[in-house]
Amino acid sequence: MTHDDHPRDDGPGQAAADERTKPDDGSPRTDGGRATDGGHAGATGELPATGPAEEEHHGFPPMSSVKRWFVTTNHKDVGILYIVTSLLFLVFGGVLALLMRVQLWAPRAAGEGILSALAYNQSVSIHGLIMVFWFLSPFAFGFANYVVPLQIGAKDLAFPRLNALSYWLYLFSGLLLGISFFQGGSFAGGWTMYAPLNIPAYTPSIGASTAILALLLFVVSVTVSSVNFLTSMHRMRAEGLTLRKLPLFTWSILLTVWMMLFAFAALLAALMILSADRLAGTTYFAAADAGGSLLWTHLFWFFGHPEVYIVFFPALGVMAETFQTFTGRRLVGRKWFIASMLLVALQSFVVWMHHMFLTSINLQIKTLFMATTIGISLPFDLMVFSLIYTTIKGRIRFLTPFLFSFGALLLFIIGGITGVFLGAVVLDYEFRGTYWVVAHFHYVMVAGVTALIGGLYYWYPKITGKMYDEFLGKVHFALYFVGFNLLYFPMFVVWETPRRVFEYDPAFAPWHKVATVGGFVLGASFLVMFYNLYTSLWAGEDADSSPWAHSTTAEWAIPSPPPLENYPGIPSYGDGSLSFLDRLGGSDRAADGGEVTDGVDVAGDHATDGGVADDRRATDGGTVATADPATAVERAGGKSHEHDAGDHGEGHGPSHASIWPFAVSVGAFLTLLGLSGLQEGAFAPGLEGGLYMALTGVGFLVGMASLVAFGRERFHGLEGPFGESWPFEGIENTKTGVWIFLASDVVLFGAFIGSYVFMRVASGWTTWEIVPGDPLPGLMNTYLLLTSSFTVVLALVAAEKGSRGGVIASLLTTFLLGVGFLFNKGIEWDHLFHEGLWLDTNVQASTFFLTTGLHAGHVIAGLIVTLYLIVRAWQGAYLEDSGSIEYFGLYWHFVDIVWLFLFPLFYIL
Amino acid sequence: MIGGGTLLGAPLIAAQTDIIPRGSRSAVFNQIYWVFLVLGTLVGVIVIGYMLYNAYKYRAGRAAGSERSAESGEGGPALGELPQGSGGGRKLALSFTLSAVIVISLILWTYGTLLYVESPPDAEESMEVEVIGFQFGWEFVYPNGNTTTGTLRVPTGERVRLRVTSRDVFHNFGIAELEAKADAIPGQYTDTWFIANESGTYQAQCYELCGAGHSYMNATVVAMEPAAFERWYANTTPANGTTNASPEDAATTTASTNHGAKADVAAAPGATAPRAAALETNAAEASAERSLAR
Amino acid sequence: MVSTKLYAAIYVVLFVFATVQVVVEEIGLLEEAYWLAFGLIIALSLIKALFVAGYYQHLRYEPRSLTYLLLGGLLAALALTIASSYSVT
Repeated sequence: MTHDDHPRDDGPGQAAADERTKPDDGSPRTDGGRATDGGHAGATGELPATGPAEEEHHGFPPMSSVKRWFVTTNHKDVGILYIVTSLLFLVFGGVLALLMRVQLWAPRAAGEGILSALAYNQSVSIHGLIMVFWFLSPFAFGFANYVVPLQIGAKDLAFPRLNALSYWLYLFSGLLLGISFFQGGSFAGGWTMYAPLNIPAYTPSIGASTAILALLLFVVSVTVSSVNFLTSMHRMRAEGLTLRKLPLFTWSILLTVWMMLFAFAALLAALMILSADRLAGTTYFAAADAGGSLLWTHLFWFFGHPEVYIVFFPALGVMAETFQTFTGRRLVGRKWFIASMLLVALQSFVVWMHHMFLTSINLQIKTLFMATTIGISLPFDLMVFSLIYTTIKGRIRFLTPFLFSFGALLLFIIGGITGVFLGAVVLDYEFRGTYWVVAHFHYVMVAGVTALIGGLYYWYPKITGKMYDEFLGKVHFALYFVGFNLLYFPMFVVWETPRRVFEYDPAFAPWHKVATVGGFVLGASFLVMFYNLYTSLWAGEDADSSPWAHSTTAEWAIPSPPPLENYPGIPSYGDGSLSFLDRLGGSDRAADGGEVTDGVDVAGDHATDGGVADDRRATDGGTVATADPATAVERAGGKSHEHDAGDHGEGHGPSHASIWPFAVSVGAFLTLLGLSGLQEGAFAPGLEGGLYMALTGVGFLVGMASLVAFGRERFHGLEGPFGESWPFEGIENTKTGVWIFLASDVVLFGAFIGSYVFMRVASGWTTWEIVPGDPLPGLMNTYLLLTSSFTVVLALVAAEKGSRGGVIASLLTTFLLGVGFLFNKGIEWDHLFHEGLWLDTNVQASTFFLTTGLHAGHVIAGLIVTLYLIVRAWQGAYLEDSGSIEYFGLYWHFVDIVWLFLFPLFYIL
Repeated sequence: MIGGGTLLGAPLIAAQTDIIPRGSRSAVFNQIYWVFLVLGTLVGVIVIGYMLYNAYKYRAGRAAGSERSAESGEGGPALGELPQGSGGGRKLALSFTLSAVIVISLILWTYGTLLYVESPPDAEESMEVEVIGFQFGWEFVYPNGNTTTGTLRVPTGERVRLRVTSRDVFHNFGIAELEAKADAIPGQYTDTWFIANESGTYQAQCYELCGAGHSYMNATVVAMEPAAFERWYANTTPANGTTNASPEDAATTTASTNHGAKADVAAAPGATAPRAAALETNAAEASAERSLAR
Repeated sequence: MVSTKLYAAIYVVLFVFATVQVVVEEIGLLEEAYWLAFGLIIALSLIKALFVAGYYQHLRYEPRSLTYLLLGGLLAALALTIASSYSVT
């Protein structure tokens, strides 16, 4: 049996080789076929070599071109960008940590040591923020980007440009954070950002605002990414890959993304409120009488605890994969392992108050959250045992990836056991705010990092096509493991040191010195890693398609690195193991013909579902489904033999390039940088204020123009389904994406309304004075919004009837009603301002203006889209495909529904 | 305040009255902590030992040679297969159950103590002091209205209740050696209590990052013999914002040699106060600059 | 297919319910029996929301998974709201 690489090696194109940056390009690949291929993946050997047309990729620049990296939307490229960028942030966060460790070498009086008090606090805060947000999750999501589409058998994510957008927003949010240091000092209130230290009265520097806005931008990036991953992972799995059958790394990412979708929406609410407090002058967190300080802890930890699992789950996935590969054994109790993860993911949303045991929450709720906290620790026991039992009767090869995974498990066990201490509330009372907590969560979180480093070595050959140096890998592990324990274990010994102080009991100093030494050893170990990985890019041995014995997942069945469009055909697990179906409907194996039909049948079923669900869509769905198999499969396969050189996106094949995600992110970056100069809703007078104002304006224009260009660009993504798409069969990708986004928006508004309810309860529900004296303007607006919802429905009806005039008229009416809503609100607000009510008057006014203001922001966004739709409808769009109007309608009706609750809550009750 | 809690805990307490740790905060903490530490170490050693043992026992060894020949082992996972698990579910279920029993019983055991700590038996004679955190120091208000800053005086052997709040940002008042701790949250009151069994000075610190002076936000807790305390307390009045050292104070300070350098820091509140004050001034200046800039 | 007539009828219902909510306040029910009026007004909002989601967003005719997706978000928001409000001492 020939190896799957061979046709490529002989073929003229060599997509993979051409796109690699290695200088010794063209040297013969030395990878012989593996003797015991098992015949599964080997089926690809018979596939026709991909023609030269594929390698052109419509003018998509090669990897050696700088331009490529600015325009790419390919999931593998974006994955590489994520990994490289996150490692840079690791260095950034690591340096801050070392600064802290140097300061902690001995107890210091004020002004002693290399850091001033405020500089130390900044280091503590930004180290935490960077490691948790800008390093850990993006590092894991580099792998997720690269590997998950490969493991589910997709050629890319559902929305490649949104994927690029997520990356660029992430990068620019990080830049914003870096800039914050040069604006009078960055945020210095700890990564938990407790209120009210987080408001300008106590952290007045502009840089502190910038850091908060940077995090806000990061959260936007995460939300975009979550929607994208969920749509892709649910809708675009290969045939036979039901959720139960997903590889464990993909499972861990799937659950991570679900948690992200909801948890980060709560953080978004928290950060929006905080930004409003810092920039516009609302008084949520300063409102002592209404529990403002506690409100932050609720919002933050409601996000914060799921976040612990968000950063740890991908590591768990890596451990599960590498344990299987390097022990040569399948995971013991795989079903229970998955069930445990699922349970943890669900339960993670009801444990947050265990971070608040010493606040003024009542005993009943403490008891409840103590119970849920023990509950959530137990599934981890099962997962740990499952991993340990997997090694039994295996043939364990201690290669670098496994060493790191194995080490991670060991460290995680220590982290887990010390966590049980914290679960006992009586002990937690005393551990609160001490190094016990610091040591515990570093043992857990950095155990996660350890596993992910294992993942980096594991997938390095796949990503680069080169082997890393095994000896240096082992040296890295040895230094890392020793450094880790030297750094964090002494923290348990001197746990009575309070967190975030640099003056401590001198008796503890020796242990802190050990920790500092350990920190430097740990840091040095990364130098070995960087050296190894960098030189291996050139000097490394060429990697086989699968350098690891017993690897199972689909990414190992294709060349290293994989070609741009991943697979030589349509991946399918239809007959129980991976095979690639010929896109032309031909077959290299007897069974394959049947499978192609199966595949199309599946699509047909989905279309029928869609038809039942919604008659209006039936025609569209039907067209796709009933197209002859060859076309349908070719569309799905995304291979075009037509040349569309230089004009990406015009062919039938999927597009891979767009500059607009980058441009949109630049706009967002400039806007937020400009907004950081806001205080109490105004820019400072003078040059500096003017500069900030100008930045805001320029950024906004760049952002809006890029968004329009983004919308107008013709870009062909992948639609699917390609097999499995439970539970969203028959719902197009975009529609699925819109709904998923709306679900996160539910949490966003839910958190805003929740904040209002909490503060109102805390200050006495019935004694709360409602801000608007008169419900009639609100009622008017309810009428306007309801009517506008109705006219959007009419627009959709008109589009389906093919009435261009009807569409335009209905949309125009919607637009006017929306403008009327805003106008009416403007009058009402103006009236309130004249009565002397302002955002900062009291907490009632703050909640009223901010919550209804957020809603108004949604209305404005909707109106901009409406304008765009009107212009496009004028040009005759939407008559054949009314999808855009339908999706817009979903959003608009949602905004309507939100108002249906805001109106009584803020105007009547 | 304890409705649901008592319901849950009542039968437990009834059944285990003797087992549940009670007493001073330190006593309670130490009992539970050591049980957890011993059991935790034991479990950790067993689990990690077992893990390492297996890893050693089932190592592939050099004989296995390269990655490629490793694959020849029959029955291992193969490329392109649909993911599936191995057997061993019973063993897994058993270990899981065992760990669950250990964890749950440990936590339930401590829950009885939590109920005790949350609402200790009424002690009529116990004193309640209001603790107010501010950037960067602590103020103590005694029942008679006497207010001090930086030093809390308490009688030994007697339960002292603290009602903790903050004047500005989120702090946390903790006395490490007496195992008393409570968040100091603006607009909220949190309660805690402790008993100092031995006279001497203890250090209280802030355990929540609260600004530039966080590292130095200390207070001294002076535990005095009841009689000495009564004498001191009788001399205080609301107007008398006394941080003045009484004769006994000097005595106890010098007596407490076992606290070493920490006591030195604590004994010299005057040394920390100016530092904190300087930091405070910095923050105030920054704030002023900012408002000027507007 | 859902007819335009049905859409229009729902619109009328929504309109009327919104009016009733304000009428409940205007007749002074909030002053007389606050929590009764509260329940009434919130219930009306809920019914309106269900109409909009069910028909205008045609969730009624979509696979149930979409409904569960949104209920998931709602549940998370309610957990936050209720538990945090309940924790207030």
